[in-house]
Amino acid sequence: MPELIAVLKDVSYKYPRSTDFVLSNVNLEIHKGEFLGLIGPTGAGKSTLCMALNGIVPQFYGGRFFGSVHIGDLDTTEHPISELASLVGQVFEDPEIQLIATSVENEIAFALENLRIPREVISERIPKALSAVRLEGTEQKAPNELSGGQKQRLAIAAAIAVQPDLLIMDEPTSQLDPVGAEEVFATAHELNQELGMTIVMASRAAEEMAEFAHRIVLLSHGEIIALGTPDEIYSQIELLASNNLRPPQVASTFYSIRKTGIAVPKVPVRMKDATPYLGDLANLKPNPSFALPAPPKVTGEPLLSVKDLAHVYPDGTKALYGVSLDIREGEYVLIIGQNGAGKSTLVKHFLNLLQPTEGVVKVGGTDTREMTVSALARRIGYIAQNPDNQIFNDSVRAEIEFALRNLDYSPEVIETRTRESLEAMGLMDVQDRHPLSLPKGDRARVVIGAILAMKPEIIIFDEPTTGQDYLGAQYILNISRDLHKAGKTVIVITHHLYLMPEYADRVIVMGKGTLLLDQDIRSAYHAKDILKSTFLTAPQAVHLSRQMQQLNGNFLPLLTPKEIADYLAPEEGAS
Amino acid sequence: MSMMKFQTVERDSFFSRLDFRPKLFVVMIVTIIAFAWESPLLQLILAVVIVATCLLVGVKWSYIRTILLIMIPFYLLLLLTHAFFNRDQVMALEGYDSLDQLRRIFTFPENWPIIGGSFATWDGLIYGFNVIFKTLTLTLVIPLAVFTTEVNNMIVGMVRAKIPYKIAFIFSSTLRFFPLLIGEFTAIIEAQRLRGLAMEKMSPIKRVKVYSKVAVPLILGALVKSQQLEVVLQSKAFSGSPDRTYLHESILKPADYAIMVFFTVFFLTAFFLLIYYKIGTFGGPI
Repeated sequence: MPELIAVLKDVSYKYPRSTDFVLSNVNLEIHKGEFLGLIGPTGAGKSTLCMALNGIVPQFYGGRFFGSVHIGDLDTTEHPISELASLVGQVFEDPEIQLIATSVENEIAFALENLRIPREVISERIPKALSAVRLEGTEQKAPNELSGGQKQRLAIAAAIAVQPDLLIMDEPTSQLDPVGAEEVFATAHELNQELGMTIVMASRAAEEMAEFAHRIVLLSHGEIIALGTPDEIYSQIELLASNNLRPPQVASTFYSIRKTGIAVPKVPVRMKDATPYLGDLANLKPNPSFALPAPPKVTGEPLLSVKDLAHVYPDGTKALYGVSLDIREGEYVLIIGQNGAGKSTLVKHFLNLLQPTEGVVKVGGTDTREMTVSALARRIGYIAQNPDNQIFNDSVRAEIEFALRNLDYSPEVIETRTRESLEAMGLMDVQDRHPLSLPKGDRARVVIGAILAMKPEIIIFDEPTTGQDYLGAQYILNISRDLHKAGKTVIVITHHLYLMPEYADRVIVMGKGTLLLDQDIRSAYHAKDILKSTFLTAPQAVHLSRQMQQLNGNFLPLLTPKEIADYLAPEEGAS
Repeated sequence: MSMMKFQTVERDSFFSRLDFRPKLFVVMIVTIIAFAWESPLLQLILAVVIVATCLLVGVKWSYIRTILLIMIPFYLLLLLTHAFFNRDQVMALEGYDSLDQLRRIFTFPENWPIIGGSFATWDGLIYGFNVIFKTLTLTLVIPLAVFTTEVNNMIVGMVRAKIPYKIAFIFSSTLRFFPLLIGEFTAIIEAQRLRGLAMEKMSPIKRVKVYSKVAVPLILGALVKSQQLEVVLQSKAFSGSPDRTYLHESILKPADYAIMVFFTVFFLTAFFLLIYYKIGTFGGPI
C-alpha cells in the first residue's frame, strides 16, 4: 500500500457569491512519489482543487467548504497557509505574476525567509534548487531576463527549495512556447523520477501528460468522473470528447482507424506504444478513393508584400533580417516559430507599429511608412492574445462602435455595422453589458467583433489559442475559417500546430529572425529538420505518417488522425 | 507581455554599493536642507550637485531630461506667479516695508483691462527660481537613492531602519509592478490605435481624455493582478510578519558610516551658517 501524501475526503466547495459548487464531493488519495495529472474542461474546478491542497481554498477566498483535506496529518482548514506552504509548493500558470523578487536568488529565498529558515540554510538550498531545474549560474540575474520556460523553471526552483512533500503545478506550460513547455515537463519528470517528489499537475498538454503522469484525474463540473492510468483515461476518446478535452493525437489516430473497421488491438496513448502496430498498418492496402487535397492556388497582386526586411531594436537586438514574402488576397497563412523567432516583430511591421531598419513593407502597394497606424487599421485587423487589454468601453455595443467612431463613419453606417457585428458574433443579447463582466471566451468574441466592424481585408490573430481550452481554441479558429471563406485574408500566429491543419493552407516558418520556410502546410509540417531547427515539433499524426512512410515508401505524407484513418480505411468503410 | 525592469541603474558605483540606510539618511538631510534654504544660489548649487551625482552613479540622462520636460510648464507657471503675485513673502524675507522697495521688471499700463497696473518683480522672480531648484532637488534625490538600490536590499535596509516590514514590502512591490502597469498601459493604447484612434492628429486635451479612458481597464487589470499576486504570496508563506529571516545581511560598512558622518556634519554646518550668518536665507549673504 503506497504511502499517502494527501487525502481529500468528501470535499465540496462554493466560492463566496457563487451559486454553484466548484468542487462537489471530491474523494481523492494522492500517493507519495506519484505524478498525478489533473484534466478537465475550463471551469471543471482544477485550479480550485490545486488551491484546496495548500489551504488557499477556503482560507484565503472564504466561501462554503465541506469535507476535509489532509496533507500528511495536517487538516488544511486548521493550519495557517503559511504553515502549509512548507509542505506544499505551488507553481502557477502565469510566469510573470508569480515571480516577486528582482533577482533569481532572492526569488528562491523569498518563501524560505518567510518560513524563518536560517540564512546559512537558504544559501545552501539556492544552488541545489537551481541545479535541480538546470538554472545554475543565474543567481544574480533578474527574473525578467529569463525566457518563459526559464521563468517557470525558476518558479519551480522557488517552490522546491522549501523541500515540500507535494509540488502542485497549475497549467505551468499553457503560456509557453514548445521549447519552454518541454523544459518544464522535463524538469517535472526529473524531479519526480530522480528526487521522488510527488507532483500534481493540471495541464491541457495531453501528449505530455500521457507520457509523464502515473495517474490521471478527470474532473467535470467539480466532480471526479474518471480516475486511472493515462492508458485508461486517454483511450476513452468519447468520454474526453464529451468533456471538451483533446486526447493525445496518437490515441485519436488509432481510435479513428479502429472506427473504420480495421482491427487495432488497443488504443495507445504514447508514441512508443504505437510503434509495434505501425508495420502492419503501413502495409495495409490504402483506400483507392483517397486523394490528398491539392494546396489551393492563389494568384493576383500581393495584398501584403515584404521585401528584404530587417529590423534592429534600439538596444541592438537584430530581430529580423532578409525577410521577403508576399501574401495574396484570400490566403490563410500560419506563421510559426519559437519565441524570439521574429513572428510578432514581422507582424508589427504590417501594422506600422514598427518601421523597417532596412527593406520595405507594402500593404495594397503602398509603403506602410507612408500610412498611419489608424489608416492601416481600416485594412488590417489585429487581434492580440489577451482580450482584456483590448477592451476599454463600458458596454459591448460601445466596444464594437469604438473603431467606427474613430474612423468617422456616418451614424447610419455605425448602426448597421455594429448590428452586423453583434449578430455575427452572437453578442446581440449582451450588447448592453460591460464587456469585462462576460466570460473569457465571450470577451474574445467582443474583441473580434470590434475588429470585424471595421471590415478589414486582412485579419491577424496573434496567439489566439494561448490560455484557451480545446473548445475555446476551436471556437476562435472556426471564426477565422468563416472569415476566410467569406473572402478575407487570414494570418494566424500560434504554437499549437496540432490545431491548424484544418484551417491553414500555407505555413511560414521563422527562426532567429529569418524566414526558414514558406510552403503549403503539408510540406511544412513534414519538414522535420526545419521545424526542429526552430524548436517546433509536428503533431503526432504527422510523426505517425512519417514513421509509416519509412516502413512503406508509398505511404502518403498525412497530417491528421482523420486523414490517416481515411487513407487506411477499407474502401466501403471510408469515413 | 515581458516584464520591464524598473529604472535601476546598471553602473556599479560607490553610491550603488552603499547600504540603503545611509542613502535614506542622505535623502532625509538633503530634503530638510532643501526646505530650509531659501537662497536661489545655494539651491542651484544643491540641484546641480544632485543632478551631477545622478549622472555619475548611472541614472540615465534620458530619465532626467524627461523629468525636466514634464516639469517645464510647472516651472514656467511658478516663475510667473512668483514674479507677479509673491510680494508679501519676499517683502517679509527681505525686510521691506513698502511695495516701492521691490525691484520691478515691468508694469502693465494702467489702462489695460484686468491686468492693467499689475507688475512683475525681480524679487518674486528670483524667489521663483529658488522654488524651482528646490523642487528639482526634491524630485531627483529620491530616484538617486531608489534607482541605485536593488529592491530586496531596499527591504532589508528599510526593515533594519525600523520601518515596518509590511510598509517596506508594499513599497518594493509597487516598484516591482510599476513597469508591469506601464506595459499594460502601452498595450491598451496600442490596441486603441489599432482600432483607428489617430493619436497623432489629436490635441493634447483630447489625448488626456483618451488616457483617462485607459484608467478603467488598467485599474481592473491591476485589481485582478493584485489578487493573483496575493494568492502567490500566500502560497510562498508570506504573512507580512516581520518575524522572518533575510538572505542578505544589512551590515553598515565604513563607507556607510563615513557618508552618514559627512551628511551629519553638512547638516549641522548648514544650520549653523543659516542661523548665525543667515547663509541660505533669501536675500542673505549668499
